[in-house]
Amino acid sequence: MAGKPVRQVNAIDQTRRMLSLVTYLRERPGARIADVARAFGITEDELVADLDLLPMCGTSFRGGDLLDIDTDGERIWWHNPAALGEEAAEPLRLAADEATALLVAARAVATLPGLREGDRQALLRATAKVETAAGETAGASSRLSVTFESEGGVFADVDRAISERRRLWIRYYSPARDEVTEREIDPIRLVSVGHTYVEAWCRRSEARRTFRLDRVAEIRILDEPSAPPEIELRDLSEALVQPAAEDPEVVVEVGPGGRWVAEYYPHDSADELPDGGLRITLRTPDPASLRRLALRLGRDGRIVSPPELADSARRAAAEALAAYETQPPAGAGQAGQCP
Amino acid sequence: MAIAKAERLMNLALCLLGTRRPLSKRELRESIEAYLEAGSDDSFNRMFERDKDDLRELGLVIATVENLDGEVGYLARRDSNRLPPITLDAEEAAALGLAAKVWQQARLAGAASGALQKLRAAGLPEDVDPYEAHGALEPRIPVHEAAFEPLMLACRDRRPVLFDYRKASAVHPEPRHVEPWALECWRGHWYLAGFDRDRGAERVFRLSRITGRVRARGTGFTAPVPDVVTVRETVASWAGEIADGTALIRLRSGAGYPLRAKATGVRELGDGWDELEIPYGHGLDAWLVEFGPDVVVLEPAELRADVMDRLRAVAKG
Repeated sequence: MAGKPVRQVNAIDQTRRMLSLVTYLRERPGARIADVARAFGITEDELVADLDLLPMCGTSFRGGDLLDIDTDGERIWWHNPAALGEEAAEPLRLAADEATALLVAARAVATLPGLREGDRQALLRATAKVETAAGETAGASSRLSVTFESEGGVFADVDRAISERRRLWIRYYSPARDEVTEREIDPIRLVSVGHTYVEAWCRRSEARRTFRLDRVAEIRILDEPSAPPEIELRDLSEALVQPAAEDPEVVVEVGPGGRWVAEYYPHDSADELPDGGLRITLRTPDPASLRRLALRLGRDGRIVSPPELADSARRAAAEALAAYETQPPAGAGQAGQCP
Repeated sequence: MAIAKAERLMNLALCLLGTRRPLSKRELRESIEAYLEAGSDDSFNRMFERDKDDLRELGLVIATVENLDGEVGYLARRDSNRLPPITLDAEEAAALGLAAKVWQQARLAGAASGALQKLRAAGLPEDVDPYEAHGALEPRIPVHEAAFEPLMLACRDRRPVLFDYRKASAVHPEPRHVEPWALECWRGHWYLAGFDRDRGAERVFRLSRITGRVRARGTGFTAPVPDVVTVRETVASWAGEIADGTALIRLRSGAGYPLRAKATGVRELGDGWDELEIPYGHGLDAWLVEFGPDVVVLEPAELRADVMDRLRAVAKG
């Protein structure tokens, strides 16, 4: 399954895993490698690395009571479970960071608008039980919190369409073009990263697309079955929209008031300017879609290249100003309304 | 080949968990191969202190006991290290399985997996595979800010910090002394709430605007920590989510869907334009300018002037 972050071998993580592993294996002679790896959420290679290390461990190196654990590649055998006293093999209490990590995540997911009520209730019950088991170490978990945003009604429809394998019809707003278009999509998965998105196969563009739920203006579950082609799921841990290397380059220079651009737009580089501003280089398949950005920046920044984009923003601003000439403020007469 | 750190930590943990009487540093040194190979007393002592800290980090409670001869001994008592009984059904197990994989930050991802593994060792049901059951839903907690981990630890341990912070439109970052209370993630960005010692008041900071390192500064808070820390409300007001007025605009027919979605009133004018009433809060001017010639602000006058000002700046190039 895609989307699992690649983690470096970390001695603390591995130690805590091995401590749980000995408790787990002591109860399950002949456990299968595949089952144990799945139960622990690790790869079989990671598990085998742990099994290579465990025979070097014991309650006393000198005493010769090293753990005699080995594997035939399929099952795991522990020949001297008595090397670890029953008491030393009991499940360990949760550390403060462990309780925090699990509880903060569980509370965040439970607040996802549109989550199935059964799942939400299960999360809330589990959260309460883990809080009790963690005891006072659960306290620090209130110092971190996470909110996922989602459109509950749209979420529920997408969730249902995925589980019933049905196609969706949506009216979708594209900010780049400021237009709402109709599409049929075959939904693949829901992804929440701050906002919630549905990754789907778009039947109109015959391509994989990601749609933000709060931009879905209207949604209907169709009777047709959903049939997305087999596509490799991407790791969405970085940006949801990844520019391609062949996309045209856009250079924006912003003053201190426009530094936020670097926080919101994935970019290749952001170089400090002497006035506290930034020179930002980014790539986008459709530079015209950045006209909005140029307009928004106002005096806080300008498009350096491509020149057509800078021109189109200037023209749009001039055209808008002209409209103000002909559309006076409400309640005012037609004449003499130059601010 | 050097002995893997995980092997050394594991041996220390098993020795401390397996003993009924406190073990002296000398006994531990003689029992664990990595310590035998440590060389000088100094390097052994440093290694031993670090290892104890690491084991405490993963939850082990290590008691320090002095015996009659004044020698210090260590042990991990069962009653202070045992997980209290916890019984979770298959649905609850699946729910926790989903929660355990949402962190994208290495330390918390490791901690969440560690928690699940401890629960697994305690008998958490496996018949529903939590890693597959919710395959179609993937919540992710993004952490891109370098300041996150030091601030998380400072919030946890209630330690004051010092960092350089660049306010939204400031040219230079300024040092801020902060007693950190809580971190909150909203719309994928992390914020810190705390007591700003220089300003003598509560402040909210956006982590991406912290430049350079977060440094520890002394111990102990000087200001009381409020029972409820509200980060989101403050940030929402910056983002213009909290409207305190109403604006009247003209919008070209068919354009500006998000404005229509927020509108409290829409009137078709029939000449290719619609008239909309929309909530007016901080930042509305910048948003309306994005729509270029498709939006004309009618009132209030200050919003109309702000938008025209911004348009003039762009028109000038």
